[in-house]
Amino acid sequence: MAKPNPSLYSVQKTFFWFAVTSVLLTASLAGIVYIDAKRDWKDYQKAFFKLKAEKATAELKQAASAVDKKELEKLRAEHSAARKTLESNSKSILDLNAKLTAAELEITKTKVVFQDLKQFEDSYRYYYEEYTAHHDPRAASYAAKLAEIKPRVQEAKIKLEKAEKGRDTVQAGLDALLRQEKEAQKKVDQLLDETTRIERKIEAVKPSFAKDLLNAPMLDFIAPTLEIQQVVLENLHDDYHFAKAQKVDRCTTCHMGIDQKGFEDAPQPFRTHPNLDLYLGSMSAHPIEKIGCTTCHGGNGHSVSFIDTAHTPRDEKQKAEWEKKYGWRDLEKWEAKMLPLQYTQAACAKCHTGTVEVPQADKLNLGRNLAVDLGCLNCHKVEGFEGLWKVGPDLTAVASKTDETWVSKWLQDPTRFRPSTKMPRIFHLENQAGADNAKLEDAAIVATAKYLHHHSAHPEVLRAPQGDAAMGEKLIKDLGCLGCHSAAGVTAGTHGPELSSLGSKVNADWLFTWLKDPKRHSATTRMPSLRLSDSEAADITAYLMSQRNEAFDSAAAPKADPKAVDDLILLNLQSKMRHEEAVAQLSKMAPDEKLLYLGERTIAHQGCYSCHDIRGFEQAKSIATELSDEGRKNLHQFDFGYVHDIPHTRQDWIRKKLEDPRVFDHGKVKGYYERLRMPHFGLSEVESEAITTFVLSLTQEEIALEAQDLLTTDEQRIERGRRLIQKLNCQGCHSFDGKDAILRSITEDPGAAPPVLHGQGSKVQEAWLHDFLQHPTTIRPWLKYRMPTFGLTDTETQDIVRYFALLDGRQTSYRGEVLQEVSPDRLAAGKELFEKLQCAKCHQITASSQAMGASFLAPDLTLTKHRLRSDWVIDWIKDPQAMQEGTMMPGFFPDMQSPLPDILGGDAQAQIEAIRDYLYRYDPAAAAESTAS
Amino acid sequence: MICSWNRATLTALLLTLFATQAQAASVSGSASFQGQAPAAEPIKMEADPSCKALHADGIAADDVIVNANGTLKNVFVYVKEGLSGKYEAPKTPVTLDQKGCMYTPKVLGVMAGQPIEIINSDSTLHNVHALPKNSPQFNLGMPLQGMKIKKTLAKPEVMVKVKCDVHPWMASYIGVLDHPFYAVTGEDGSFEIKDLPAGTYVIEAWHEKYGTQTQSITIDDSGKSDVAFQFGV
Repeated sequence: MAKPNPSLYSVQKTFFWFAVTSVLLTASLAGIVYIDAKRDWKDYQKAFFKLKAEKATAELKQAASAVDKKELEKLRAEHSAARKTLESNSKSILDLNAKLTAAELEITKTKVVFQDLKQFEDSYRYYYEEYTAHHDPRAASYAAKLAEIKPRVQEAKIKLEKAEKGRDTVQAGLDALLRQEKEAQKKVDQLLDETTRIERKIEAVKPSFAKDLLNAPMLDFIAPTLEIQQVVLENLHDDYHFAKAQKVDRCTTCHMGIDQKGFEDAPQPFRTHPNLDLYLGSMSAHPIEKIGCTTCHGGNGHSVSFIDTAHTPRDEKQKAEWEKKYGWRDLEKWEAKMLPLQYTQAACAKCHTGTVEVPQADKLNLGRNLAVDLGCLNCHKVEGFEGLWKVGPDLTAVASKTDETWVSKWLQDPTRFRPSTKMPRIFHLENQAGADNAKLEDAAIVATAKYLHHHSAHPEVLRAPQGDAAMGEKLIKDLGCLGCHSAAGVTAGTHGPELSSLGSKVNADWLFTWLKDPKRHSATTRMPSLRLSDSEAADITAYLMSQRNEAFDSAAAPKADPKAVDDLILLNLQSKMRHEEAVAQLSKMAPDEKLLYLGERTIAHQGCYSCHDIRGFEQAKSIATELSDEGRKNLHQFDFGYVHDIPHTRQDWIRKKLEDPRVFDHGKVKGYYERLRMPHFGLSEVESEAITTFVLSLTQEEIALEAQDLLTTDEQRIERGRRLIQKLNCQGCHSFDGKDAILRSITEDPGAAPPVLHGQGSKVQEAWLHDFLQHPTTIRPWLKYRMPTFGLTDTETQDIVRYFALLDGRQTSYRGEVLQEVSPDRLAAGKELFEKLQCAKCHQITASSQAMGASFLAPDLTLTKHRLRSDWVIDWIKDPQAMQEGTMMPGFFPDMQSPLPDILGGDAQAQIEAIRDYLYRYDPAAAAESTAS
Repeated sequence: MICSWNRATLTALLLTLFATQAQAASVSGSASFQGQAPAAEPIKMEADPSCKALHADGIAADDVIVNANGTLKNVFVYVKEGLSGKYEAPKTPVTLDQKGCMYTPKVLGVMAGQPIEIINSDSTLHNVHALPKNSPQFNLGMPLQGMKIKKTLAKPEVMVKVKCDVHPWMASYIGVLDHPFYAVTGEDGSFEIKDLPAGTYVIEAWHEKYGTQTQSITIDDSGKSDVAFQFGV
C-alpha cells in the first residue's frame, strides 16, 4: 500500500483548521439558537398566557364561589350513598352480568337458526316462482317445500324474539341498579361544569416543565406551545411593485387576545379588538380568516417584530413613547406602512365601493360628504365621484343679483361677510404676502368682478312689493327654510348658505324674484320653489333685506392699481409670446379691455368655473390634480418644500395641505402664476381629519372581486337615489334611511314636524308618489311646513320612487291597488265602524273645522284609494305611533282589542280590514248627493 | 319555608314600626298669587258642536286659575331632592276624566308604574295623547261615552303633558315620581305632603304658565313645616 504523499497536505494544519471551523460553526449555531430563542414574540406569548391564566384563575374563583356549597355537599352525599348501595349490590350485579352474557349467547344461537331457515325459505320461493312462470312441473315440489318450511321459520323467529326479550329484561334490571349512581354523578358534574371548564382552560395555558421542554431551544421544532400564528388570505395580495405575494398576516402572533372577549382592558398588544360583532368574529362581516389584519390597518403582515411590521404612531407623543419602549424607528423604504389609528377608516373604501356612505364609517363618511359639499370634488377629479353638481352659485346672471363692489369685497375675504360660508378664501393668502403681492391680488380681484358682471345675463326681474319683515321672519321658521338654511337667529341646516346679511348683498327685486322662482335665475340651482304667494315672498324679502353686515358695508372696496394690472397682463402675455410683442399688445389695450382680459385670465388660473357656472368657461377643464390614487401616491412625490415641523408622511402632508394649503410654498422663490393655488377653507380639526381620511381612502388598488362588497343592480339604484337625496337635501326635513332630519330636531311638537319617511315605499302607491314629487299638494293641512317643488326631471322622479320602493324591498310596477270584491255586509260594517269611531271628526275638512286650527285638519280620506297601499293602511290603523312617532292619529285598537264588540264579532283584525275596504270606496260627495236625492 | 316566612313578617313588622315613628313629619303650605289675575280667555268650542252644547254659558280657559283668596290653583308641589328610600307604587289607579271636553283633574300626580285610569265621560271622540320624554308615548282614541283605559308611565318625569288632538284647548299635566311625596293645590291654594321622614329636602312647585320655584327645608321628627310659594307676574 502506497504511503500518502505527505507533501500534499499537513495533517497538523488540517487538524488546526478543522478545530477552528468547528468552534466557529458551534459558536454561530449557538448564536442562531440564542437569537431565535430571544425573539420578541415569544416573550409576548408567554406574557399573554400568563395574563390568560390569571384571568382564568380569577374566573375560576368567581365560578367556584357561585357554586352552591350546600347543594354540592348534598349532591355529593347523595352520590356516595348511591355508590354504597351499588357496592352492597355487587353480588347481584355480578349475577346479572352473567345472565346478560348467557342471554346474549342465546340470542346469537337462535339468530343463526332463524337466518338459516330464512335463506332456505327465500330460495324455495324463488324456484317456485321461476318454475311456475315457465310451467315447469317441478313447481309442485317447491310449493310443498315452501309450505313445509314456513311454520319452522315462524317458530325460529318467535324463539329469537323471546331471547331478545330475555336479554332486555336482564339489561333493565342491571340499569336500574346502576342508574341511581350514574344520575347522582351527573348532577355533581353539572354543578361543577363551569369550574371544570375553566380548570381545563387554565391547564392549557399554565406554564409547566413539559411545556418548557417543548419550547426549549433546539427541541422546539417538535410541538412547541409558543408558535407563530398566521392567517393566509386566499383572495388578497400584497403588492411588491413587480411581484404580487399572497397576503399572510402574522399579527395575531403577538396580538393574541385580539379576537377574544375579556381582554378589553388588557395592556397592548393583548387588547381585544373593538366591536367583535362587526370585526374578526367568524360570524361577523369581516372575519379574520377572510379579511386578515393588514387589509384594513396596513403594514407588513409577514413580519413578527414591532419595527418591521411598520407600526405607525398616531401622534408625536406616541412616537416618543414607542421610541423609548420598543426602539421604534421609521421604516423608510417600506411603502405600505400601517395607517395611524385615527385614519383607519380610510381602508374601508378599498372594498366598499360605489356607495354614497360606508355603514358605520362615520369619519370617512363625514370626510366624503365634506369633499362633496365644499366642492373639493368639483376641482379634483376622482374616479367614482364624477358627475357631481357644482356647489357654488350660478354666476351667469350675477349682475342682476349684486354689484361689482360687493363681489370684489367678497373675494378679498368671504368670511368677513359671512363667517359660516363654504366659499374658501382664494386671495391674500400667505404665499401672496407683502405690499406688492397685495396690489397684484387686488388687481386680479377687481378684474374678476369686472369680467363676471360684463359677461352676465340680465334676466327680467319682478318688482318686489312692500312686505312685513316680522311676518317674513316667522315665515322662514314656519315654511321649512331652516331644513336647508340657518336663518332668523336659528342655527339649523347647512345645506344652503346661512341667510344672513343679505341686505348688504342683493337687491330686493332680485331676491323677490328668486324666492318666487329660483329656476328663473338659474336653471341648475338646487334651491326649490316653495310656491310662495306674492305677499309671502315680499315678507321674506323684507326680512332678509333688513339683515345687514355694517362692518362689511363700510369696508373699502379693493382698487385695481394700473401698474399691477399691467404687470399681471404682461406675465400672461409673455407665456405665449416674446417680451416685445407682449409689451406692444399691452399698449394697444384700453383700460376696460385690460381688466376684462385680466379677469378672464384670473378665472382661468384659479379655476372658479369648477364650482360656479361662468359664461365663457362652459368647456373649461379643471385645474386641480387628480386624486383617484392619492392614498397610495409615493411619498417622494409629495413636495414638503422647506416644511420640517411635520412628520414626512402621506397623511401629515395631506392634513397640512388641507389646514394650510399654501404652506409648502414657504421659503420658495416663485413667480405670481407659479404659486400654489388651493384655496383656504378654514377647516376645523375634526373636518380636516375627516377629509384626510377620505383622501387616504382614494386608492386604485386591485382587490379580487370575491373579496369586494359588490353591489347588486338594485343596490346601485338605491345608491343613485341616495346621491340624489343628498343633492336635494330631502333629509333636512324628513327623517329616513338612517338619518334624522334637522327640522324635526328643532320642531317641539313631533306631530307638527314634516313626516318621517321610513317605509315610504311600503306606504304609498308609486304613481301617486311620482305625481306628488313633481307637483306637491297639501296632504297634511295642519303642517305649516311646505313641501317644495324641486322641478325634478322624469328620470330623477323615477329614481326617487324606485329608491323608496327598493329600500322597502319592493320593485316598482306603477300598477296601483287592485280592489278585491267585498261583500255588502262588510262594507256596511266598515261604514258603521267609520261612524262609531268618529273618523270624520278629524278627517273631514269643513269651513268650521278649518277655522278651528290645526287639530281638526287630518288628511283627506278621499285620497286614500289613489295614494296609499292597502296593506299599509292596515298596519297604520293598528298602531299609528309605531309608524310615525308623535302622530296625532290615535290608535283605536290597543293590543288588538276593539272597543266595539258588537261589530264583526269584535274581531279587531276583521274590523280594521272592513274600515280599510270602506276607505277605498269612500266618497263623501257621492254619499251626500245620494242622501240628498 | 315557614321559617323564612316568619322572618319576612318580622321584618315587615319592624319596618312598619320604624315607619310609624318617622311618620310624624309633614310639609304644608300654599301657593299665593301676586298681582293682577289675567283675564280668562273664553274657549271657542264651535268646531265640535257636542262640546259646545255642554257649556251653554261658555267656558274659560283653565291654564291660570286664581282662587278667591288670592292663591293659585293647580300648582304641583313635590319633593325634588333629599329622599333616599325606595317606594312601591300603589296598585290603586289615579283617575283622569275627560268631561265636558275638559280634563279633570287638570294637574295630577302619580307614581311611576302606578295605573292611570282614563275615562271618557263625553259622547264625543277624544284622543288621549301623552307626550312623556322618559317613557313611551301613547295616543289612543276614545270614541265611546263611558270608555275606560288603563295606562302607566314607567319613568319619573315632571311634568308629562297630555293633550287631545281633536280638541286643541284640552291639556292636562301629570307629575310622575318615584315616591309618594307630592300634592296639588286646590280651591284654597293650599297643599300638604304627609308622612315625610325627617331630613333636608328641596321642594319644587310647578305651574303650567308660571314655571317652577324651589325651596330647601329641613324637617325634624317633631312634625310640621311650612313652605310658602309665590307666583305671579
